[in-house]
Amino acid sequence: MGEKWVLMKTAQAPTNMSVIKYWGKRDESLILPLNDSISITFDPAHLCTTTTVAVSPAFQQDRMWLNGKEMSLSGGRYQNCLREIRRRASEVEDKEKGIKIEKKDWEKLHLHIASYNNFPTAAGLASSAAGFACLVFALAKLMNVKEDDSQLSAIARQASGSACRSLLGGFVKWIMGKEDDGSDSFAVQLVDEKHWDDLFIVIAVVSSRQKETSSSSEMRESVETSLLLQHRAKEVVPKRTLQMEEAIKNRDFTSFAQLTCADSNQFHAICLDTYPPIFYMNDTSHRQLLF
Amino acid sequence: MGEKWVLMKTAQTPTNIAVIKYWGKRDESLILPVNDSISVTLDPAHLCTTTTVAVSPAFQQDRMWLNGKEISLSGGRYQKCLREIRKRACEVEDKEKGIKIEKKDWEKLHLHIASYNNFPTAAGLASSAAGFACLVFALAKLMNVKEDDSQLSAIARQGSGSACRSLFGGFVKWIMGKEDDGSDSLAVQLVDEKHWDDLFIVIAVVSSRQKETSSTSGMRESVETSLLLQHRAKEVVPKRILRMEEAIKNRDFASFAQLTCADSNQFHAVCLDTCPPIFYMNDTSHRQALFYIFLFPLGVAYTFDAGPNAVLIARNRKAAAQLLQRLLFYFPPKSDIDLDSYVIGDKSILQDAGVEGVKDVEALSPPPEIKENAAAQKYPGDVSYFICTRPGRGPVLLSHENLALLHPQTGLPK
Repeated sequence: MGEKWVLMKTAQAPTNMSVIKYWGKRDESLILPLNDSISITFDPAHLCTTTTVAVSPAFQQDRMWLNGKEMSLSGGRYQNCLREIRRRASEVEDKEKGIKIEKKDWEKLHLHIASYNNFPTAAGLASSAAGFACLVFALAKLMNVKEDDSQLSAIARQASGSACRSLLGGFVKWIMGKEDDGSDSFAVQLVDEKHWDDLFIVIAVVSSRQKETSSSSEMRESVETSLLLQHRAKEVVPKRTLQMEEAIKNRDFTSFAQLTCADSNQFHAICLDTYPPIFYMNDTSHRQLLF
Repeated sequence: MGEKWVLMKTAQTPTNIAVIKYWGKRDESLILPVNDSISVTLDPAHLCTTTTVAVSPAFQQDRMWLNGKEISLSGGRYQKCLREIRKRACEVEDKEKGIKIEKKDWEKLHLHIASYNNFPTAAGLASSAAGFACLVFALAKLMNVKEDDSQLSAIARQGSGSACRSLFGGFVKWIMGKEDDGSDSLAVQLVDEKHWDDLFIVIAVVSSRQKETSSTSGMRESVETSLLLQHRAKEVVPKRILRMEEAIKNRDFASFAQLTCADSNQFHAVCLDTCPPIFYMNDTSHRQALFYIFLFPLGVAYTFDAGPNAVLIARNRKAAAQLLQRLLFYFPPKSDIDLDSYVIGDKSILQDAGVEGVKDVEALSPPPEIKENAAAQKYPGDVSYFICTRPGRGPVLLSHENLALLHPQTGLPK
C-alpha cells in the first residue's frame, strides 16, 4: 500500500512513593498484591517519564527506545501491557491527515515507543512505575481506549505493581482486590494534589556501592520465607490503611507521619525476616533515620 | 562482739548465646518473657565470670566490686537477687573454723562480693548474664541454699533474664511460664555439653563506635510499639522452640542452622519494627550475614545478638577450620596486630586451619567459591578479634583459695 502516515501521542507521567508499602504478591503473573498500598504522587515537573507512542503501517515491528537506547519488548510485562491495551483499542480518525484506523486494524499495526526519564534510573527512584504508567496512558490516548484511569491502572499494574498508582495525582490507593483474575485490583485517587499542597518532599539520593537486586525476586523471597509477612498483610496493613486514609483526608500530619515511619520500618523489618535477609538500609540510612 | 571470721565461696559461671531469642517481657519487675528461649552455654575456659562471696560479722554493709571497681548494690536487680537468696538461706556450720550461722542470722549479716569477667564488658558478650548467674550460684553455695539449679535460675532471672540460662551447661531452655508470680519461669537443661560436642563456636567481636541501645529499654520499646512482636511470640516462637529441641536432640545441624539464622533475622526484624527503630546490625554485620549464608553448605550457622558481634556455630572441627580460613581471609587483622591477640580462646583450631602466624594469614588463598577472575574484597579492621570456643559446662565452685577474689582475712578485694 505504501502508506507512510504516522500517528503519534506524547504523554508525561509522574512517579510515586508509597507511604503504606506494597511488598508481596498473591499472584506473580497478574501482579496482585497481598495488601492495599497508599502512595503520594510527585510533581512531574521534577521527576517524570515522557513517552511518545507512534503507529504507522510503515512500521515493521514493535520497537522501543528507553533514554535513547533501543531495548527489547519481548519481556512478559511489556507484552502484557501491549496486549491488554490493544484489546481495548477503538476506532481512531484524524480527518485532517485523512487517516482512519478501524478497531480491527490495530492488531496488525506496529508501534514505535520512545521513553525518557528526567531522573537517573540508577538512583532507585521507581522509574519503572512512571515508565509503565506512561506507556499505558500514552497508548490509551493513541488507541482511543475508553477505559477510565482506574481501569487503565489495572493494565499498568500487570507490568509493574507500583505503576498503577502513577495513573493518578495527589494521594492514591492501590486496592488489593479479592478476585483471582485481578479485575478489582486497581488504583483510585484518595485526594488530588491540591488537597494537601502544604506538603514539601525532599529525597536524599544516597550513592550505593552494592549491586541492587530486583525487588520482584526479593519480594517473592519474603513471601516464601518471612513468617511475619502474612501477619502484616492480614492484620496490620488493613488497619493502617484506614488510619492513613483518615489522616490524609483530615490533613492530620502527626498521624500521617507516625503511620508513614512505622510502615517504612515494618517493610524493612520484613526484609530482614526474609531468607536470605535483605538489607536495603545501610549505616547511612540508619544514621539519617535516627537523626 | 569483735568476731572477725570470714566465710567465703568462689564460683565460676559461663555465659550463653541464645539461638531462639528472648526479646520482650510480659512483666518488667519480675522479668518474665513473652516467649520461651533456647541458648547454648559457652565454655567458661574462654569466657566466664568468677565471683567470690564472703560473709563476716565484721562487714558493715553489703559491698560489691566488679572487675576491681566498687559498684553500687542499691539497684533493683541486685536487691532482688540478694533478698531472694537470703530468704532461702539455711544453717551453715564450719566445724574447723568453729563458725555456726543460724538461719535467722543471715538477715543481719553483710556480704562482700567481688566479681571478675575474663572478657571485656564493652564487647557486648552478655556479661550480665554470666554475672548474675554467678552471683546467685555463689551466694546459694555460701548460704547453703537447698534449691536446685532450676529454682536458682528463677532467682537469677530476676537479676537479668538471660542470666537464668547460665545456670546450666550444654543447651538450655528458659521456659516462659504462665504464672503471674513467675514461679514457673525458669531454665532447664535440654542436653548437656557432651551431647553435641562436635560443635565449634567462633565469635567475631566487631568494634562498635555507636552507643548501643540497652536491651532492657530496647525490648520494652519493642513490646510497646512493634505490631509484629506479639505475632512472633504467640505464633512463630512456640513452633520454632519445638523444632529446635528436636534438632538439638537429634544433632540435626541443617535444621539447627536454619532455625538459628531465621530467629536471629527475626529478632533484628522486630527491632527494626520498633519505634524508634533499633539497629543492632551495622554494615559490617550485614556484610557478614550475607557472607555466612554462603558458608551454609560447609555447616555454619550465624546468630547476631543485641550488638554488632556475630556468633558463628560450625558443625564440626573441619567446618570450623574452613570457616576460620575464610574469616581470616576476608577479615584479616590490621597490620599492627599479631595473630595471638587476633584469635583468642581455643586456638587449637588455628592448627587445623593451617594458620600459625600472620604470614600464614597473608598466604591464604581465595576460597574456592570465589570465581577465578573476581577480585576478592577484604575488610581488614572490620573485626576487632575472634574468640574460639565450644559448648561448655554450667557453674562450678572453685575450691582453691588462690582463685578467690577476696582476701580470706579482710574480705576485701585482693
